[in-house]
Amino acid sequence: MDEITTDILVIGSGAAGLAASVYAAESSQQILVIDKGAIGRSGSTVGAVQIASLGSWSHREDSLDAYQQDIRESGRGLSSPVLTDVLVQDISARLEDLLQWGLKLDKNEHNDILVAATSGHTTPRSISSKKGKTGLAILQVLTKRAKNSSNIKRWSDVITLELVKANGRVAGAVVLDLKENKSYLIRCKTVILATGGIGQLYPTTSNPAQSTGDGFALSLTAGAALVDMEQIQFYPVSLIHPSSLSGLCLSFYHSAKLYNRNGERFMDKYEPETMENTTRDKLAIAIASEVEEGLGTPGGGVWVDATGNIEEVKRQFHHEYQLCLDRGVDLARKQAEAGPAAHFIMGGIWIDGDAASTTPGLYAAGESAGGLHGGNRLGNNALSECIVFGARAGKAAARESARMKSIMAGVPLQTKKADKMINVISNSEQGTERSYACKKAVQALMGEYVGVVRSTKGLLQAKAEIKVIEEKLDQVKITSSLDFYSKEILDYIEAVLMVTTAQAIVEAALTRKESRGAHHNKNFPEQLTEAKHTIVKVENGKMTVQEEGEV
Amino acid sequence: MSQLVVKIDRSEMRTDQYEIDLKTGRTVLEAVEAIYNHHDPSLAYRYSCRTGLCTTCMMLINGKPGLSCMKMAEPGEDGVLHLAPLPKGRTIKDLIKEV
Ligand SMILES: Cc1cc2nc3c(=O)[nH]c(=O)nc-3n(C[C@H](O)[C@H](O)[C@H](O)COP(=O)(O)OP(=O)(O)OC[C@H]3O[C@@H](n4cnc5c(N)ncnc54)[C@H](O)[C@@H]3O)c2cc1C
Ligand code: FES
Repeated sequence: MDEITTDILVIGSGAAGLAASVYAAESSQQILVIDKGAIGRSGSTVGAVQIASLGSWSHREDSLDAYQQDIRESGRGLSSPVLTDVLVQDISARLEDLLQWGLKLDKNEHNDILVAATSGHTTPRSISSKKGKTGLAILQVLTKRAKNSSNIKRWSDVITLELVKANGRVAGAVVLDLKENKSYLIRCKTVILATGGIGQLYPTTSNPAQSTGDGFALSLTAGAALVDMEQIQFYPVSLIHPSSLSGLCLSFYHSAKLYNRNGERFMDKYEPETMENTTRDKLAIAIASEVEEGLGTPGGGVWVDATGNIEEVKRQFHHEYQLCLDRGVDLARKQAEAGPAAHFIMGGIWIDGDAASTTPGLYAAGESAGGLHGGNRLGNNALSECIVFGARAGKAAARESARMKSIMAGVPLQTKKADKMINVISNSEQGTERSYACKKAVQALMGEYVGVVRSTKGLLQAKAEIKVIEEKLDQVKITSSLDFYSKEILDYIEAVLMVTTAQAIVEAALTRKESRGAHHNKNFPEQLTEAKHTIVKVENGKMTVQEEGEV
Repeated sequence: MSQLVVKIDRSEMRTDQYEIDLKTGRTVLEAVEAIYNHHDPSLAYRYSCRTGLCTTCMMLINGKPGLSCMKMAEPGEDGVLHLAPLPKGRTIKDLIKEV
């Protein structure tokens, strides 16, 4: 296998990975940032609309304490105080950096910075850029900065198969350049994982094609611990039809009205004070419960009525409004069918305030890290997390790398999973299973048994079915030539990683014997008095889960 | 159900023709996915967001550059939906351009 060396390897180029690269590049370390898709254009960041932040636009009553209190309140006892503290302390400085590097904030008719209210934030603190294409705007600023940094190299269409270790540290990765199906061993001093979320483990999602949860599987194999993997946010109100837009977030739900099949405004039963303007965990569970009780619409959701607030929708969420209209969903005139879609994972790689994982040499930032949001993420806090912890990871990895004398050249690096994957691909002519069908099968079972409302029996069923898919993947059939880019190979690698991540989610969900935050098990509907974290690890090749108190 | 004929200019000067179900409201990207899933697993194409933001799904659609996740799968003047990679830059495979 050909070898490549760098000081810091950054995996993933959304807001978190690019922020990590740019801040790491302030040192003299060499940085290589890779992405399995097009750099800077393949993650969830692209679709993000607003970012929450403190700054000159903050309302008088807003403060570090108020912001931190909102996150902790929403976290249902699972939000890490260390991480929330870092977020509120750092956010305004990080935003200031972005503004200096060219980010322009949207303004209102009086030329003041536009600040929007978001459910669960007690004070309006959501700002935007490029008329609500905030994620894209941030990516453009960071990409430009990365291009201008002489110590950052970018490499698109390269997927990570395994993180490799030497002397107990993560010391590199085996990657596959999809363009020519050629594998490489990258040796480095530190690795930063920023591979985003897990939406594609579900049949209906707001997430892009690349959100297959790779980072969770990769870090587990490298020995890192994952925290609260059962905490998955379902965006409560997302479009069901047409199929091309299924999973599209309807960001205006807080001011729209929701009805069940009998025309009842059912939120009256669940949250009479806030109605639809409640947090995402509560709203998703309410909607899924209506559907479970047979009160859903023909498409398995509820009706969303935006006719009463259509001017606000057109103004604040123009892209969504226009997209719907172009596909025949006229929100100004008719109700639309909507339901929960897999959107965000609050759980993830367990990190400290410097974004270091529990495995030496490995850092994680953005959606692939866990613990900040606890049981429910407040809207617009994901982008804030990416830039704050991306920067923390970049700076800390650079400091650690600078202290290390050399890259461990010559040290044999052990790989387990990567060799097997490469082998299966090489022998795939005899295979029988389509990799895309294996991905679909994971999605189907996760949707059926590990969705908004869960049960112990369902989770056990999911565990058994995942095992079957895992075995099928050894018999994968790849028909396209192995010398060129092959979507079948990409689907195969993603399916293998999806299986491990799905196992981690199911194990964590089985361990939490209560309902807390986004995890709702109908066999354990109550929330226990003490909040504990679920911690998933792989030890000696076996997945284990423990419960722990405050982390 | 009536059929939509899709012609795709692929790598190595190959043009392949597929017949898929004609469904109303289907995007070009959904048509390409249907071909990959049910007709030809060797077809390579790129996409990400499905909502017109990332622009990675851009290709020539009936001769004009367009986002395959945004354009409807409809036949051109000759009754065929014609797809090809963008003319500029290196093509990695089929509809995928180097970025
Ligand atoms: C439609 C939508 C709207 C949203 N709106 C908002 C909002 O308004 N405000 C807000 O704060 N948050 C929002 N979120 C959430 C937020 O966008 C994400 O949580 C955040 O952007 C994640 O950024 P990231 O850098 O961690 O990961 P991503 O942006 O997802 O990037 C991950 C990257 O890693 C790459 N990658 C993955 N696996 C591998 C691998 N094995 N090898 C190599 N590369 C790999 C991917 O290709 C991708 O480019 C939204 C999410 C979605 C989907
Ligand atoms: S898939 Fe992103 S623009 Fe089409």
